[in-house]
Amino acid sequence: MLKVEVRKKLGSFLLDVEFEVNIGEYVVILGESGAGKSLTLKIIGGFEQPDQGKVCFKNEDITHLPPEKRKVVYLPQNLGLFPHLSVKENLLYSFKCKRKRINDLLFNRIVKEFKLEEFLERRPYQLSGGEAQRVALARAILATPEVLLLDEPLSSLDFHLKMKLISLLKTVKEEFNLTIVHVTHDPLEAIFLAKKIFIMENGKIIFAGMLKELLSKDVASISSETFKEFKKLVEKFNSLVF
Amino acid sequence: MKSSVILRGIFAILGLLGILFILLPILHIFFSSSLKAIKETLKEKELWKAIWVSISAAGISVIIAFILGIPVGYAIARINFPGKRFLESLTNLPIAIPHVAVGIALLSLLNEKTLLGKFFKTFHISFVDTFYGVVVAMLFVSFSFVISASITGFSAVSKELEMVSRSLGAGPTYTFLRITFPLAFPSILRGGILAFARAISEVGALLILAYYPKTASIFMYERFEEFGLDSATPVTIVVIVCCLIIFFSMLYLSRKFFKGLDA
Repeated sequence: MLKVEVRKKLGSFLLDVEFEVNIGEYVVILGESGAGKSLTLKIIGGFEQPDQGKVCFKNEDITHLPPEKRKVVYLPQNLGLFPHLSVKENLLYSFKCKRKRINDLLFNRIVKEFKLEEFLERRPYQLSGGEAQRVALARAILATPEVLLLDEPLSSLDFHLKMKLISLLKTVKEEFNLTIVHVTHDPLEAIFLAKKIFIMENGKIIFAGMLKELLSKDVASISSETFKEFKKLVEKFNSLVF
Repeated sequence: MKSSVILRGIFAILGLLGILFILLPILHIFFSSSLKAIKETLKEKELWKAIWVSISAAGISVIIAFILGIPVGYAIARINFPGKRFLESLTNLPIAIPHVAVGIALLSLLNEKTLLGKFFKTFHISFVDTFYGVVVAMLFVSFSFVISASITGFSAVSKELEMVSRSLGAGPTYTFLRITFPLAFPSILRGGILAFARAISEVGALLILAYYPKTASIFMYERFEEFGLDSATPVTIVVIVCCLIIFFSMLYLSRKFFKGLDA
């Protein structure tokens, strides 16, 4: 289990979150810009230290572990592909930096599964948006993480590509038994991907639960506008699809 | 619509005037000397020696500027510490000080009567009228370009790339050597090219600190002082051509090798 219980003050902004994610679970943190979603991910990834509290993974306190010692891979919104390296070098980066022998079997499997055969020698700037997304995701998987942190990874994609990537993310999660924490401001991503949803507002989680739990909530009891909008969207979506 | 056309027209005319201002003296000098005089100048061994002194001293000063300037640039771009803004302003001082003043300041610091001069003397290093002096003067006047370029280069590298590198398993040193530095390098190199060009063109500080061995600039200056404009012109043409070849070759190579890398 990934257990996050942290407080951090940045100027007048206070992040104060407490949540748990089960192993193999896909969690979406939904919220407007400035809600504290990315900061939460950075604390889990080890790029920011909390003022108080801790981050535990599988009962081990990893709060003060440097990012490279955690089995957590971070995928930012702009994907973070290294522009001076070829696609192949990007994919093999985690092996090279850890001086590990390249797992050819896994590499070939991922390259095939993500349909990257023809791009291996290209540079990131020669890839389309969808291709770059696949490379970034494949590179993250090749690092064999236990937790994958996705910071608005689909926000720049059009609807068609977004749906393709959503399907790929679902497959990858199942296949590699990954724990995924996905941050987004797009309710559709939450609806399509999440088993569990956290809604964040002003540095706090104002709802944590399954989609169906959200539906059973009484709108009158909800004060948050984000939450209300999201609930309405889920209800609409629910009535259309089911 | 009409006002935007007028504005563009004004900008085009002003821009053209600006470019002419740069090009006209350079183009004019190429037509100010006979081919015969240029051919004679090309045979002057002393000129080639002076050009070599300029190139080698500028090259060494840029390498030293890289070694000392890159860490300063990185610190200013990436680390928060008290006095950071002041330090950044300080690194631009060499651009603000008149270069004759730089020469006087360096001479007063490094002549053989001072503590520092005596210290270097024990290693048989003197800065007055020596190649070391040429390097030091060139380094002082060009150092800022490398620091500024390093600050720009490191600032342009997305911190998210470093975060991704760390989360993929790389330590801070590996991340710096494999991600941060290579990505900042094209910008640093461009700063190095400018620093090289600035170093080669230095006269003021050299006149005071290290007149000898003569650099190309000093050679031109001396020729003008002793024999006048007509005699200095063919020398100037040869030096300008050499500088342009070096400058544009370096720019071309840096663009060719680092295509697509600008953050």
